[in-house]
Amino acid sequence: MAAIATPRIGVFATRAHRQEFIAMLVLRAASTFVVVAISALFLYLAIEGTKLFTVDHVSPFQFLFSPVFNPDANKPGSLVFIVGSLSVTLFAVLVGGPFGIAVGVFLAELAPPRMVAAMKPAIEVLVGIPSVVYGWIGLTLLVPLIRTVTGSNGFGLLAAGTVLSVMILPTVITLSEDAMRTVPNSLREGSLAMGATRWQTISRVLLPAAASGLTVAVILGIARAIGETLAVQLVIGNAAVLPQGLLGATAALPTEIVIDMAGAQQGSLLEHALFSMAFLLLLIAMALILAVRFALRKRA
Amino acid sequence: MRDAVLTLEIARAKSARGVRHRRFVDRSATTLLWCAALAVLALLTLFVGYILYLGAPAISWQFLTSPPSEVSAGGGIGPEIYNSFYILGLTLLFTVPVAVAAGIYLQEYARPGAFRTLVQFSAESLATVPSIVMGLFGLLVFVYLLRWRFSAIGGALTLTILNLPALMRVTQEALFSVPQTYREASMALGATRWGTIWRIVLPSAVGALTTGVILIAGRIFGETAALIYTAGVSVAAGKGAYDLNPFRPAETLAVHVWYTHAESVVPDVARIGNGSALVLLVMVLLFNVVARIVGRSLTRRFTGR
Repeated sequence: MAAIATPRIGVFATRAHRQEFIAMLVLRAASTFVVVAISALFLYLAIEGTKLFTVDHVSPFQFLFSPVFNPDANKPGSLVFIVGSLSVTLFAVLVGGPFGIAVGVFLAELAPPRMVAAMKPAIEVLVGIPSVVYGWIGLTLLVPLIRTVTGSNGFGLLAAGTVLSVMILPTVITLSEDAMRTVPNSLREGSLAMGATRWQTISRVLLPAAASGLTVAVILGIARAIGETLAVQLVIGNAAVLPQGLLGATAALPTEIVIDMAGAQQGSLLEHALFSMAFLLLLIAMALILAVRFALRKRA
Repeated sequence: MRDAVLTLEIARAKSARGVRHRRFVDRSATTLLWCAALAVLALLTLFVGYILYLGAPAISWQFLTSPPSEVSAGGGIGPEIYNSFYILGLTLLFTVPVAVAAGIYLQEYARPGAFRTLVQFSAESLATVPSIVMGLFGLLVFVYLLRWRFSAIGGALTLTILNLPALMRVTQEALFSVPQTYREASMALGATRWGTIWRIVLPSAVGALTTGVILIAGRIFGETAALIYTAGVSVAAGKGAYDLNPFRPAETLAVHVWYTHAESVVPDVARIGNGSALVLLVMVLLFNVVARIVGRSLTRRFTGR
C-alpha cells in the first residue's frame, strides 16, 4: 500500500487558503499602522509638549493664563494665543455655522436636481482650494476692504474670522446635508399631512430630528477652524496682544507656532512652549472628536 | 347670539391672517435658503474670477520655469512646481496602498469588536489633527529623530499620515457602494473572500476610488502647514533643484506663496503670490475635472455601467 500523504491542514492547506491568510495579515497590518501612527503622534507631542513644565519648571497655570509671552525672560504665557484661537473660531462658527446649515438644508430639502448638480462640484472645489490661497484672497481683497470701510489697518479678528467662516463652509454644508437626509421620510410626510407648510416642517420637525447630526457638522467645523494656520496667519495681524474688539490685531496658537518655530533653538524654552501649544491644539482636537462621539451616541 | 357670531368672525379673520402669515414666512424662508445656496456659488465665482484677474498678468513661460530669486525681482516658480508634483507622487505612493488596505479591512473583513473600534477611533482622531501639529510631529520624527534634515521624503511621509483617514473614508465609501449581491454571487460560486474582493469588489469600486484619490491628490498638492517644517522652505540652486533624490529640501508651490510673503525680501512679492495662487487654483480645478472624467471612464470599463 502506498503511503498516504499526510493531509495538510489549517490555513496553509491550499493556495487559496494561503492567499487568504496573507491578505488578512497585510490588511490587518495596514489597519494597525493607523493605530500606531496616532499613538506615536500623541505620545511624542505629549512628551515634547510637557517639557515646558518638567524641564523648564514653568507652571501649567502660567502657560495657560498669563498674557505675557516673553520666552527670553522665562515667561511663556500663552493666554493671548488661546483667546485669539477661540475668538476667531467662535466668529467662524457663528457666521459660517448657520450659513452652512442653511445651505445643507437647502440641498437636502428644496434644491431641484439641477441645482444640486451645480452645487456639489462647487463645494468640492471649495474644499480643494489650498488654505494659502484663501489667505491670499483675504490678504489682497478682504483686508484692504476692511481698511477702507472701517479705517483700521484691516488685519485682525474680523478678517481672520471671515476667512475661516468661508473655509468651514464645505464641512458644515456636507455634514448637515447628510444629517437632513437621514431623517426618515415618514416624519416629513406626517408633518405635511397635518397641514404644516414646508418651512414649518423643516423648522419644527426636521431640524430637531436632525439635531445631533447638525451638532456634529458644527463641531467638525470648529475642528477645521481651530487648527487652520496659514490662511489665518496672513490676515490676523500677528500681534501678541489680546484682541481689542473685532478690528483688533491678535494671534492664534497655530499662527504663533508657524512663525516662531523657524527661529526656535532645539531644546530652548521657546521651542518647548511652541510644542506645548501644539499639544494643546491636539488635546482640543481630541476633545472635539469625543464630543462628536457623545453627540452621536445620544441619538442612538 | 350676537357674541357667538362675532367670535366666529374674529376666529375666521384670525385664521385667514394666520394662513397668510404662514405662507409669507414659508416663502421668505424659501427665498433665504435659495439666497444662501446662490451665495456659495457666487463666492466661488468671485474667488476664481478674482484670482484669474490677479494672477493672469504674472503668468509667463519664464515665471513658470525659472528658479526663485533670493533677493532681486524676477524670480520664478519652476522648482516649486516640480517639488509639488514630486511630493504629491511620493505621498500617493505611500498613502494609497496603506489607506486602501486599511479601508478594505474595515469595510470587508473586520467584525464589530474592540480592534475595529480602535482602528476607527484612531482614523477619526487622525482626521482632526491640525496640519500644523502634524508638521511638528514630522519635524520631531524625520528631522530630529532620523536626522534627515528638511527633505522631500520627510514632507511626503508627513502628508502620508495626514491624508490616511480621508483616503480610508473614500475607500470605505467606494466599497460600500458595491451591491452586496455581487459578493454573495461570487462566494456562491466558490470564490474565497480575498478572491471575491480582488476580482469582483475592487473592480466595481475602482471608479469611485480613483475619483476620491484624485480629489485628495488636489488637496495634497496645496498643503502648506505640514510641509514648512518637514520639507523646508528652500530649493537647491541650479540643476540640483530638479533632483530626483528624495533627501533634499523641497519647497512646494503653496509653501512658496506663504514663505515669500512672510519671510522673503524680494520686492515683487505680490507678483509671485498672485501668479502662484493662480497656478494653485488652476491645478485644483484641473484635479477636479480629471477626477470626474477618469472616474467615469474607469467605472464604465470595469462594470459596463
